[in-house]
Amino acid sequence: MTTRYTKIDGSSTGYRNFLIVSGAVAALAPLSALLMFTNGHYITGMNNQVPWGMPIVMAVYLIGASAGSLLLSAMSSVFGMKEYKPFSRMAALLAVLLIVSALMAIILDWGRPDRLFIPFFHIQPRSMFSLNAFLYSSYMALGLLYLWAMFNEREKLEKQLGLLAVLLAVLVHSGTGAIFGFVFVRELYNSPLLPPSFISAALSSGAALMILALYYTFKFTGRELDERHIHGLAKLMGIFIAVVLYFIFIENVTRAYAPKNYEAASFLLLNGGKYTFYFWVGLIGLGLIVPMILVLNPATNRSLKYIIPAAWMQLLGVLVERYIIVIPAQIMPLEFFHDKEITSDFLDGAYANYSVSPVEWAYSLGLVGVVVFGFAVAIKLWPILPSQANS
Amino acid sequence: MLELPHLSRITDIMTVDRRDFLKIGAYTAAGSMLATGLPAINAIASKTAPTRKPEESWAMVIDVDKCDIDCTACVDACHKENNVPDFPEPKHDVHWIRKITFKQKHVENGEERSLPAMCFHCEYPPCAHVCPVEATFVRKDGLVLVDKHRCIGCRYCMIACPYKARSFVSRHVDHKPTDNPDVPIRMHGVVEKCTFCAHLIDQGKEPACVTSCAKKGKGAMLFGDLRDEKSEVFELVRSGKANRIRSDLGLNPRVFYLGV
Repeated sequence: MTTRYTKIDGSSTGYRNFLIVSGAVAALAPLSALLMFTNGHYITGMNNQVPWGMPIVMAVYLIGASAGSLLLSAMSSVFGMKEYKPFSRMAALLAVLLIVSALMAIILDWGRPDRLFIPFFHIQPRSMFSLNAFLYSSYMALGLLYLWAMFNEREKLEKQLGLLAVLLAVLVHSGTGAIFGFVFVRELYNSPLLPPSFISAALSSGAALMILALYYTFKFTGRELDERHIHGLAKLMGIFIAVVLYFIFIENVTRAYAPKNYEAASFLLLNGGKYTFYFWVGLIGLGLIVPMILVLNPATNRSLKYIIPAAWMQLLGVLVERYIIVIPAQIMPLEFFHDKEITSDFLDGAYANYSVSPVEWAYSLGLVGVVVFGFAVAIKLWPILPSQANS
Repeated sequence: MLELPHLSRITDIMTVDRRDFLKIGAYTAAGSMLATGLPAINAIASKTAPTRKPEESWAMVIDVDKCDIDCTACVDACHKENNVPDFPEPKHDVHWIRKITFKQKHVENGEERSLPAMCFHCEYPPCAHVCPVEATFVRKDGLVLVDKHRCIGCRYCMIACPYKARSFVSRHVDHKPTDNPDVPIRMHGVVEKCTFCAHLIDQGKEPACVTSCAKKGKGAMLFGDLRDEKSEVFELVRSGKANRIRSDLGLNPRVFYLGV
């Protein structure tokens, strides 16, 4: 079995319009970043109680999807699962585009993006951010090399680079989990389970993304799609969702077991208002359990009618998961004394407020636009899509 | 001599010379993921030259019983000394020192008391540990400072600090002619915090909050050198009556409280 890859023709009005629209959406990211920089961050929902908002949520989400895509791309070359060969190029391309977008998400959210190069020329081994600056940039470079090896049909090199890329993808996303997991002063962050839990969420959302990317590109380019590929990916997605659920379960019961964490645990699980709602309905229900049932239940897992919505639910569910990880830990007040209530004019002892501001919505949408636009351009420039995806 | 193992250890680490430091840097970079716990990394903090005698180790002792709940002398003096601006929304406001009111939980009509809280200049400052660019560093005399020309504004330090000692400047601040010229001009997009009035300490003076508390308050705040066995702060710390906030975290802050 050999897979042939071809560029898309790209002369239709539909394609041109798609480029214009997605390009305009992508432009929202740098434009809103410019607004944030020139005005100052007070125009966002972030503040001195909640210093990290939607830009960080998006960064973590995009990095996860990138690591997930790369691991799936390496299935055929590294793990010898030949049935995944037809979309290994697509997946690697998405991995590169997603990490580019994630780096944009992080850097343009800094108060001083004009000091771009400082973290890349300085290492501070104790800071996860510093280590990640090197992990992310080398991961991006390796992803590009890996794609190049694929384009040039250098199979041995592809396999070697693929293996390296898999290792690096695991490190990259573990490092992302550790950004939060190492923060020992906030009960809702501190957890050794965050790195592995991030990897499993990366895989489930990566599979969901691949299902959708395959389905929509084949639909719009009129290529023939063998549904068995989707079925295989859907099954993987279901298994990884189960792993994500397991990690979330263990993490939360461990936290809730200690009396000193009662307040934090109940804030997330019982009385945290919108956060509790996002957790149970957005994440556990619609983001994980429903799509898992849809793709694992034999009555529904052979039909695109169920698989495509399940993939959407999972993709958005993991976004909710990232939100649940990043935000509530900052909403909880920091404790000065275990046994005393505190108040101050700096909102000490009070639950903080955060809501996503319009400029952050535009920023987030723009980051997605960067990936979509980049993908649409790349499939015209390089032979990425299989001419037909059957084995 | 009073044994303050953690605080005196700082000096030992500081004696690592530059060549050793580079070597440590090379090793730690190689094993970067594994190296996160190495105390040797503290050596990084030694990059800034001391401005006074290196054997000093500054600390503050605050007697909460002398702190009046409605007195803001320390806060006012700090804001004046350091040109701390007033922003329209409290959630974006910049705070270097603030008054915290506290009372016992789960008791009816608990007595309300107050204490001032600023940056506690921890011996193991999580803010400096997480800073990707070493914009936050520890000076030889123990002060934790921010280089605002180096800070990239990622705000990881604000996430890591358990005391909310840090503020991000989310608006442009105009330099006013009435501003104190002895402190650096404020810059937007970076994180800042209390410096223990390093500029005053270096002139042999005490931080503005301490001076003001002595003059306008009841003299609740004491400032001094822990290595000076004749100092009052040393005596109070040795007595064992002075506590540190969230000492369970093991950060060894340099601000001690009496009566709480």
